[in-house]
This record gives sequence, C-alpha cells and structure tokens, in this order.
Amino acid sequence: MSDEEHHFESKADAGASKTYPQQAGTIRKNGYIVIKNRPCKVVEVSTSKTGKHGHAKCHFVGIDIFTAKKLEDIVPSSHNCDVPHVNRTDYQLIDISEDGFVSLLTENGNTKDDLKLPTDEALLSQIKSGFEEGKDLVVSVMSAMGEEQINALKDIGPK
Amino acid sequence: MIRPIWEYITGLFDVHLDFGPEFGGIRGRVQAIKPMVLDRWIMPPFGWIKINTDGSAMGAPGNSACGGIFRDCKGAADLAQLQATMQAIELACSSIQMHVNPAAAEATLLSLSQSPRPYHACQFILENSQLANARFQAAGAIRDAAIREWALLEAADRRGLISFCLCFIMNNANSPEGYVLVKVASVAAQLLKRGWPDFTAAEKDAFFLEVKEAVNGSHGLDVQFVGINFLESLVSEFSPSTSTAMGLPREFHEQCRISLEQDYMKAFYCWVQYAAFNVSSRIIEAHSEIPEVKVCSAALRLMIQILNWDFRGKNAVENLKRGIDVFYDGMKQENSSLRRSECIFVQPGHAWHDMLISSGHVGWLLNFYTALRQKFSCEGYWLDCPLAVSARKLIVQFCSVTGVIFPSDGGHMQRQHLLQLLAGIVQWMEPPDAVAKAIKSGKSESELLDGCRALMSVATVTTPVVFNELLKNLRPYGTLTLLSALMCEVSKDLMENRTDDETWSWVARDILLDTWTTLLMQLDGSGHNNSLPPEGISAAANVFALIVDSGLKAASASVLSDGDEYDFLQASVTAMDERLNSYALIGRASIGATIPLLTERFSERVMRLHQGKGISDPTETLEELYSLLLITGHILADEGQGETPLVPKEIESSYTNIMEVDKHPVVILSGSIIRFAEQSLDPEMRTSFFSPRLMEAVVWFLARWSSTYLMPPERSGENKSSYENCNETQHSTNALLSFCGENNQGKVVLDIIIRISLSTLLSYPGEKDLQALTCYQLLHGLVKRRNIISHLVTLDSWRDLANAFANERVFFSLNAAHQRSLAQTLTLSTSGMKTPEASNQYIHNLTSHMTASLVELSSKNDLKTIAQQPDIILLVSCLLERLRGVARASEPRTQKAIYQMGFSVMNPVLIFLQAYKDESIVVYLLLKFVTDWVDGQIIYLEAQETAAVVDFCMRLLQLYSSNNIGKISISLSNTLRTGADAEKYKDLRALLQLLSSLCSKDLVDFASEPIEAYGTSISQVVYMGLHIVTPLITLDLLKYPKLCHSYFSLLSHMLEVYPEIIAQLNVEAFRHILATLDFGLHHQDVEVVDLCLRAVKALASHHYKDSGAGKVGLGSHATSYKEPDGKFHEGILGRFLRSLLQLLLFEDYSTDLVSSAADALLPLILCEQSVYQNLANELIEMQVIPTFRSRLTNALQSLISSNNLSSTLDRINHQRFRKNLHSFLIEVRGFLRMFVLRGHCYGSGCFLAARLGWQHGSVASIDVKQACPSSIRPTLAGFGLNGPVLNGLAILEPNPNPSGLRAKWATIGL
Repeated sequence: MSDEEHHFESKADAGASKTYPQQAGTIRKNGYIVIKNRPCKVVEVSTSKTGKHGHAKCHFVGIDIFTAKKLEDIVPSSHNCDVPHVNRTDYQLIDISEDGFVSLLTENGNTKDDLKLPTDEALLSQIKSGFEEGKDLVVSVMSAMGEEQINALKDIGPK
Repeated sequence: MIRPIWEYITGLFDVHLDFGPEFGGIRGRVQAIKPMVLDRWIMPPFGWIKINTDGSAMGAPGNSACGGIFRDCKGAADLAQLQATMQAIELACSSIQMHVNPAAAEATLLSLSQSPRPYHACQFILENSQLANARFQAAGAIRDAAIREWALLEAADRRGLISFCLCFIMNNANSPEGYVLVKVASVAAQLLKRGWPDFTAAEKDAFFLEVKEAVNGSHGLDVQFVGINFLESLVSEFSPSTSTAMGLPREFHEQCRISLEQDYMKAFYCWVQYAAFNVSSRIIEAHSEIPEVKVCSAALRLMIQILNWDFRGKNAVENLKRGIDVFYDGMKQENSSLRRSECIFVQPGHAWHDMLISSGHVGWLLNFYTALRQKFSCEGYWLDCPLAVSARKLIVQFCSVTGVIFPSDGGHMQRQHLLQLLAGIVQWMEPPDAVAKAIKSGKSESELLDGCRALMSVATVTTPVVFNELLKNLRPYGTLTLLSALMCEVSKDLMENRTDDETWSWVARDILLDTWTTLLMQLDGSGHNNSLPPEGISAAANVFALIVDSGLKAASASVLSDGDEYDFLQASVTAMDERLNSYALIGRASIGATIPLLTERFSERVMRLHQGKGISDPTETLEELYSLLLITGHILADEGQGETPLVPKEIESSYTNIMEVDKHPVVILSGSIIRFAEQSLDPEMRTSFFSPRLMEAVVWFLARWSSTYLMPPERSGENKSSYENCNETQHSTNALLSFCGENNQGKVVLDIIIRISLSTLLSYPGEKDLQALTCYQLLHGLVKRRNIISHLVTLDSWRDLANAFANERVFFSLNAAHQRSLAQTLTLSTSGMKTPEASNQYIHNLTSHMTASLVELSSKNDLKTIAQQPDIILLVSCLLERLRGVARASEPRTQKAIYQMGFSVMNPVLIFLQAYKDESIVVYLLLKFVTDWVDGQIIYLEAQETAAVVDFCMRLLQLYSSNNIGKISISLSNTLRTGADAEKYKDLRALLQLLSSLCSKDLVDFASEPIEAYGTSISQVVYMGLHIVTPLITLDLLKYPKLCHSYFSLLSHMLEVYPEIIAQLNVEAFRHILATLDFGLHHQDVEVVDLCLRAVKALASHHYKDSGAGKVGLGSHATSYKEPDGKFHEGILGRFLRSLLQLLLFEDYSTDLVSSAADALLPLILCEQSVYQNLANELIEMQVIPTFRSRLTNALQSLISSNNLSSTLDRINHQRFRKNLHSFLIEVRGFLRMFVLRGHCYGSGCFLAARLGWQHGSVASIDVKQACPSSIRPTLAGFGLNGPVLNGLAILEPNPNPSGLRAKWATIGL
C-alpha cells in the first residue's frame, strides 16, 4: 500500500461517523449496539409487545466492550438504534514499557505508543509472558467511539 | 503415663480419643482431618483379620514406640461397643436435625451403612435407641448393607434379617413414630424381593403366614394396619415403575413381578378385602371417628394400588419363555392422544372375575360409600377425609376395569358392572347446576371432580353409544347430556371468576374435555362416521356454542390485562393448542351447528368493528376476532405435520345435499374470513384495525386453511370407489373443493394471499413474529405444493414480490433469517416454471443483483476501512443470508444457475473472510453459505467445476486457519469469553460439515467424467482439510457434544474409507489425530467411543493387511523406536492395544461397546503379537492367588485360540472373536477388577499381614492413619483409595487406575 493511499485512508477515518443508525429489529445477538452512550456487544435480544394489540419492542442486553459492564435497553423494534463503528487493527508488539504502556508497530512503519496494557492481571500476564518468551506477538486493537483497547493476541510464530 | 496402645486404637474407653502428651500433636491432627468420626472400631467380616498399628516418636532421632493389634470378627462384639455405635449414630442424627455440621454427620451415617456386616449394631439400635431418627437410619443401614453383601450372606442370615424386620414392625405396631415402621416394612419388602428367586415357596409362605394373620386382624388393629402397610410396600417394590434398582438387571425385576402377580396378588387382595369388609361394618355402626378408620383407608389404598398393577396375565410368562422382549410391550398402550389426565386401564385377567365382579364386591363398596356420605355430618368424617377419598378413588378405579375379566358375552356383563357403578356415581354430580351452586357456596368439589374422572374412565372403556345408553337405564336422558350439562356449569363458573389460580372449574374442565376427546377420538379412529347418537350431537353443539361464547368473553376480558403475563402466555401456548384441538373435536362432532355459529359470530364482530370505526376502541373486538380465527382454523383444517392434510372427515361427510358452491356453509365461512383479510390491504383499514397480533392470527389461519382447501390435488379414481355412497359425498366435496380449485376462485385467493404477505413484510416493520409466520408457515407452505407453484409463478403479485425482494432496500430491514427463508422460497417456486431455462434465468435475475453488489464491494480499494462500518456489515450479512437461502434450495434443474451464483462470489468470499476476520458474525455467515452451497452442488459438479470448488474450499480453510490459529481473545467479561468459545465451535462445526459434504462426492457423483481427470482426489483433499482443521480443534472444544460427534464421525469415516492416506500425513498432524482418538476412546458418549473404535479397527486392519502384502502399511508410525535420548516410543498400534485392553478389563463402559471393541481388538492383536504377549504376562503376574492366576492364563489363551480363530480379518473370524471376547470378559473381569489393588498394597500395613501369611481377600483393611507414614496419606487419597474412613480405618476398594497407582507407588518408594 502506497503512502498516498494511506494518507487518504486516515483522512477517511477521521471523518468517519462514530455510529450508524440501524433498525432495532435487525440487530442480532452478537452484534453491536450503543446503550447509554456506550458501545456494547449484544448478548441477548428478546421481543415483547406494548399491550396485546400494540407494536413490538426489542429488549437488548449488552455488555460494554471496554468495561464489561452489563447494560440494558428497550426500543420499539421499528425505530432506529445507534450501532457503533467498531474497528480492529492489528499491530506487532515491539515493547512493553515499565509504566504499563506498549509500543506497537503500525503498518507504515511508525510506532504507536499511547496504548496501555489491559488492567486485568490474567490478561496482562498472558501478554507479558508471551512477550518475555520472545514470541512474535500481534495484538489486535479494538476501537469504537473514541476509545481503544487491546482485545486479542496472536502468536504469529516463526513462519 | 503411657497407656496401652490398643486403648487408643479401639477407643472403647473414650469416645473422643485422648492421646497423651507423649504422642504430641496426634490429637490435633486427627481432629483436623476428620472433625467428626465414628469413634469406634468396627470388626472385620467373618474370615478376616484386621490389623491396627500405631507408632510415635518424640523427635527424630528420639524415643519411639510402636505396636499393633490383630483381631477377627468376634474380636469386639460386646455390649459396650454396640452402645458406643448407638451413641455415635444418635449424635449424628440429632446433629443433622439441628443442622450442626451436617456433612460430617452424614459421613458418620454413611460409614455405618457401608461398614461390613453392621446388622448386629443396627438391630441393637432399632431395639434400644430412644431416638426415632436413629432407628430410621439403622433400618436404612441394614438395607444398604444387606443388598450389598447379599451374595455373601448365609441363607439363614437372609431369612433372619427379613423375619427380624417383620417381627419388629409387628411388635412395635403401636409405636407413635409411623415413619420408622414404614421404613422397616419397606426394608423387609426390599430384602424379600432381593431373595425372591432363591427362597422356596415354603419359606415365602412362612413369611406371609405371619402377615396374613396380621392383616386378618387377629392381633389387633395396630398390627393389622402395619400388616397392610407392609403389603403396600411389597407391592410397590415389586412393581417395576416404583421398585428400587438394587443394582440388578431388569430381567430380575421382571421375574419377581410375574411371580408375585401369579402366586400372591390375588391372595393379598383377598386378605385386605376381608379386612376392609370387617372394619367397615364397625365404622358404619359407630357414630364418631374410631381407630378402624385408619385400617379401612389403608386397606382401600392397597386395593387401589393392586388394581393399579400393570397386569400381564399368562401372556407375559409365555412371552418371557419365547424370548420376546416383555419390556417394551407396555409402551403400546401409550396412545398419542391429546389427553392430559391419565386414565389407566385396569386389566386383571379373568382369574379375578369371581373376586371383583361376581362377588358383589362393587355393591359392597358403593353401599359403604353411600353409608359414609350420610355420616359426613358426624364428627370425624367429612367429604375429603382420607377414608372417603380412598373409597371414591377405588370406585373410579373400578370404572376402568376392562379386558378379559369380563366373559365374552357381547359386553353385557361389563355394561351391568358399569351401570351399577354409574348409579352410585351419578348421585355425586346431579343435578349439575345444584352441585355447582353448592360448590360455590363452599362445599368441597372433590365429589364432582371424582365423578368427572369416573365418567372419563367409563368413556375410555366403552364406545360413545354404550356410554350414552348407560344413563338412559336410570334417567330419561343419556350420559352425553349429563356430560354437556356438567360442561356448561363448569364453563359458566369459568366465565364468572377469571382468576389466575387453578380453581376447581379448571380441573373439571380439563377432565371433561378429556372425556369428550376420548369419546370423539374413538369416532375418528374407527371411521364410523355416524356413531355419535343424535342426542350426543346436540349435546356437543350446546357445549361448543358455550365454549365459543366463553372463549369470546374471556378474550374481551383479557384484553386489558397487561403485557406482564406475556411470558406466561408463551409457556401456555402448547397447552392452549391442545385445548383448541379438543374444542375442535367437539365442534366437528356437531359440524352442522358449528359452522353457521362461527359464521354468525364472525360477521357479527366484523360488523361491530366497522360500526365502531373511529368511535370506540376496537381492541376488545380485535381480541375476539383473534380467538375466533384460531378456533375456526382448528375446526376447518388439520395440521399437516409435513403432509398435505385432507379435508376433515366430519366436514366432508356433512352437507351432502348442497350442490351449489356458493351456498356451502364452509365456503361461506372461509369466504367471509378471506374477504376480511383482504381488507388489511387497505392502508387506512390496516392502521386502524389490523394490529400485528390480529395479523398473526390472519396469517396463521390463511396458512392452515390454504394447505387443505387451496387448489387441492385432484382425487384419484381409486379413492372415489372406496366410498360407498360415493356420489353424494363426492358432490359435496367437489362443491367445497372446487370453490378454491385451480379453475375457480383458486387463483384469485392465491393472489390475495400473496398480496397480504407482501404487505405484512413491508408494512409491519420490526414485527418479527408476524413476519416469521408469513415467511415460514404461509409462503413456505405454499411453495411445497406443486399445483400451487405452477399458478404462483404466473401471478403478477408473485413477480412483484420477487422484484421487490431483489431490488428494494426495504427488505434489508427484515430479520436476516427471514430474508434467507424468502430467498429459499422464491428459488423453490421456480420448479413451477415450464422450462429449466426459464428457471435458471429467473434465478439469475434474482441473484445477479446480490452477487454484483458483493463483487463490487469486495473490489473496493478502501474495503479495509469501510468494511467495519455497521451499514456495510449489515449489507454484507443480509446478502450472504440471501445467497445461503438460494443455495439451500438447490435442485437439479436450477443447479446451473446456483453454481454460477456461487462461482461468481468465490473471490469476494475469500476477501471478506480476510476483511472480517474479527467479526465473528460475518465469518460464520460466510462459512455457512459456503457449506450449504457446496452441500447442494457437489454431487452435480463436473470434474472441472469440482476442481475449482475444491481449490476454493482449501483456500477458505487455510485462510480461516491462519486467521484463527494461536489467537487468544482477551476480554474482561466472562459472558463475552464464553460467547467467543461458542462462536469458534459453530465455525468449526460448519467447516467439518463442509468437509463431510466434500466427502460425499466420492459416494454419489452425477458428473459425466470422473473427477480424477483434473487431478482432484477427494480423499487427499479431505485429509488436507482435516490437517488444517484439527489443530484448531482443541480438547476443550470437543466438549461440545455436537462438534465432538461430527468430528469423530468424519474421522472414522475417513479412516475407514481411505486408511492408506493417513500414513502420508506428517508426524504433527498424525499425532494430533491420534490424541483426539485416544480422547474419544475415553469419552462418555457411547456413540463417540463406538466411532473411535471403528476408526482404530480401520487403522489396524489396514496395517495388518498391507504389511501382510509386503507393503508399508502405516510405515514408521506403527513401529516402536528409541529416541536418541533413550526415550522409548511405542508404536501407535501397541499403544492402542494397551489402552483398549485397559479399558475393557478395568474401566466402566456400556456393554453395547463390546462387539465393536472386539472388532478393533482383533486386528490390533494380530499386528502386535509380541506386545499382546507382554501385556498378558504382566496381567498374569499381577495375580497372586494361584487359582485366579491359572484362570486368567487359560482365559487369555482361549481368547486368541478358541472357536477356530484364524489370523485373517474376514467376517466370520470377526464374529468368532466377538464371541471369544464376550466369554473372556465374563470369565475374568469380575475378579480382575476386584483385585487390581491387591498386588500393590504391600507397601503399607499389609506387608505385615503378608509376612504372617495372611490371605488377601476381596477387601483389604489397612489402617491408613497408622500404618502409613503421614506423608503418604494424602497420596493414598489421591490414588482413589476412597473407602469409608472409620477411626482412620480405610476399607480399600478396587482402584480404577492400576497403572497410575503402580507408577506413583514406585515414585514414593514403596
């Protein structure tokens, strides 16, 4: 990918909307939804009615993709909901600094140093031990609505 | 102050062990390990010597002391010890009651029942303990121990235990703690059953003599009562459904059952009948409650129980002799009717005739109850007192007596019998309105309910005509009239009080409905159309009118109740459906009145709706219409359940005189509903009246109705002639059917239906349920019928639907699954086109738009950026779902177009798989689409196309694997993590399905030239696929049963069909496959183990045959070798041989597996003769006792030599080996499993005993606490030496894992 294209791409990214409207009835389990201004992954959808001869409503249970908090919402199923634009980018892990920040290699050769390690001990140790063993690790960074977090880890190994 | 050591050990002198300071620390430790132990020594069983040893040291090195004590079974059976046991048990019982440390108390109680021969102690407790609970537990312990040790007990001991229990209950008959007596009685019953086949008739008679005397009442009322109680537990113990398993095979229970039924059942009944007869006269004379009441109701209960017995008569014995499986013939009686309340036939054989029917027994019972009714005003008697309840129950029971007990006199005797009963029963519920009134003012409803139950029983054993005539002998009206009057009262009550609680009227309604169903289902099944008497028809008409009106009232009343009960409604939908079915049966029975009634009610409501337009709230009327539509649908048409339902017989056979189509009542009714439905097309009407819920009913009705009446297939000629009055019936049917036939209104109605569907899909955004009904039931039902399809495709409205679906964005807001179903439906409809070209063109038009947009999207430069946008994700997943729907509708004539469709998106699919690698929903859709597409296409593909598809699949697999292997999802949320696991599982299952469908190419192939022409080999491809997929399948994922199953079935299929290719796999992949096979062998699911055994068999047979022919076979995989570092690698076949033998000899498995295990074992043994010899020698060496050793040696020898076993792998040889293995296992498994441990316990206290020449037996007692160093103790527990621990004594039990044990033994130097 040439530099020029990349420039275009980042520009598009900057202008991209953070959320999109989508009819509540089409949002499925395992999809994303914005509840109380937080990006969530839908873990449960159920429908009910307002009165016997009324219209359908969707009841969503979502889990905040960054904080893992559970959130709920009820929306008439013909109305629109906000769906967050969840982006995932892969970076190669180059370093873990002592203050808990990681240093990542972007596709165009720059480094990205503004991400912290996850706070959870178990996850932290998975990354650290993998890194200390000298494995080639690729981390996947999930970003939505202006937040980002490491959400997956992959050992690309010697190829 | 050093006390003799044995004092500490036996604990005779102090319940809590008191260790002196010189044994510092011991006390604390004992308590820490076992906070509450049964502080007493328990004697070993007869013929055994128990050793207790102990030692202690003050520092190391320091002063130390040790000692031991050997005792046999007589060692300590003295009073003090019994006393101590009793105290311990009492303590445990009371601490359970007070909930103080219940776990420890339970362990104490358990230790009593698990200790060897606790009978003495238990009997002591039973006789002496003041605590009823302790006595209860002691009785339970006797049972547990005796059942366990039954085979070891002497005959005299067995008899002794039973007569002890019997004597105990007789002697303590007046004890206030009834539950102890019941427990002891049931223990006696169980032991008696356990020994039933062994006891001689004289021995049994001796037991029963005592019981008989007791029941006769010669020892007083209390004894009589317990005697009856004992018989009750005995009967329930012998009845298969209530018996205790006792670890015995079903044949045993079956034999006991037959024996009891033949030899004793009648005698029992006779005894209690006599007892009841005697006490009843005294009860009637007395004016207040007397103790006889208790005996009498117990006797009645026992009679009920005996009548409930599942009588088999002589047939059962003969069947058993002939080897017919008697276990399943009970199933036949379970008819699949709609009845909710059970009604069991009472079918004792004709031997019971004299006792039940001709002896005046029924008359006595009825008189007794009548006398009892008059006493209800007295003190101690009331309508629901146990005696009255049992008496009524018995009367109801008598109503369902049927079968050969009545002589074959055309049912005369049975009618007399029922008439006699009915005369008594009718008093309970006549006149219905007065009875209902009395109940409302507080009288108990139980008589009415029992009366209804009796009616149902009568209905079950008679035909409708007989049923109706019965009451005519007593009253001016028939039974059906009574039934309908009762139903009316009940419905009235239901209408008046609508509460959520189940009131008596609910119960009564259910029973009465069942009665109707029973009566009417008989009509249905027997095919006699007119066997319901005219009176019955009018009764049914009354009832139905009432049902409809009460239903309408209930509907309008319920409309205001809020959506809170929605969940409740969901749960009761099935119940509701069943109820509607029974309503429909009643309605159809009086079809002449029903249809006009429904038509009238329906048009009334529609009228009201129009009149109230804009003025009043229509909701109530809407709900009424909703319920009317449901009931009408049930009346007019049956549910197809996959077949094309015919016009119900009742409707077909009535109205035979109506020739004109327009005047046929059914046509009028259907017409008015369809016209009403058509109004929903008008937007204004739609918004004001057609709520989503009403629309659901409309769509449901249209779906149900159209599958029966819309363009019905032509009747074939032979069908016509089978009707006797064919002319008349035919005309009426014709009139009915031709209304919506292909030449008449059919097309118009079809057009209306399609337009209604289109409007539900477009004008009710977000109403998932409604749209689901439209897609799955209505439209899908239509395209299943060939003669509809051919008209469908010519309709403009259908073309509109297809066009809108392909081009309009609105359809993207439908649920994705619904879009899939629509695509499938549209594709299926192409079979109605005249030429294949037209169909293919049609599909091309339908899909070209979708494929084009996928291709366009995938070729965008900025795909990577925009792919993650929610709108793009939605678009892609909708398109994929649609394509999947089309792919699922693959048929030979449309195959070309669908192949083209898939082919054009091959590249985009791969691009999307890469772009959406983190978007699990899309990935799953992609995989599912490819799977369905390949599944539908593969067998039709030409060689070149196959090559392309196979190549595509491989690229897909590789891409998926490279995206996912080694990936760890990180998430704070547990739910999301498990969600990610489930997604992975679904993906892999789809991939395995893909591979399986590729496999099928080798089995079924319609291509014109062999696929090898293009160098494709399916087997290689699938192995490649497995190679890619298996690393992704972790053992954790195999815990998903479905995935596990599909993985192993694919694997075993591959190994069976292409074993030669597995040798070509690389070491890594090979090892992985073997690891999973090994995992599968120890799986709990029998089917999985079976699949693995088949796979192993295939592997070994292949190797054997190949190496016999001088080829490589499995090559290096099979041979053993030593690695440079000295590690020994056993060949895989040797490994499997070892683990299979291990499994067969020492582990638990289903006996179904033995045959397939034999099939796998034979080739393994043939391949690895030397390994087998080594294993056999190891096994033999483990045996210490010479007799067992020689038995094992012989058995191992005959396993591979008897039955002329040769070294070929043909069918006959396999069969011989199966037989050999069966007899081998029977011969050795018993003692091998018992003695697994025996060879290994020399390390601990046993070595002492061994020195002393102590014969080891099946159970070795080792004092774990004392004989083993403390460092080993936890290890011992880890080995599974999990006997009940009594004062540190462990009863060692066979260890399931001997090799592991041996290894660990070795590591700790024992």
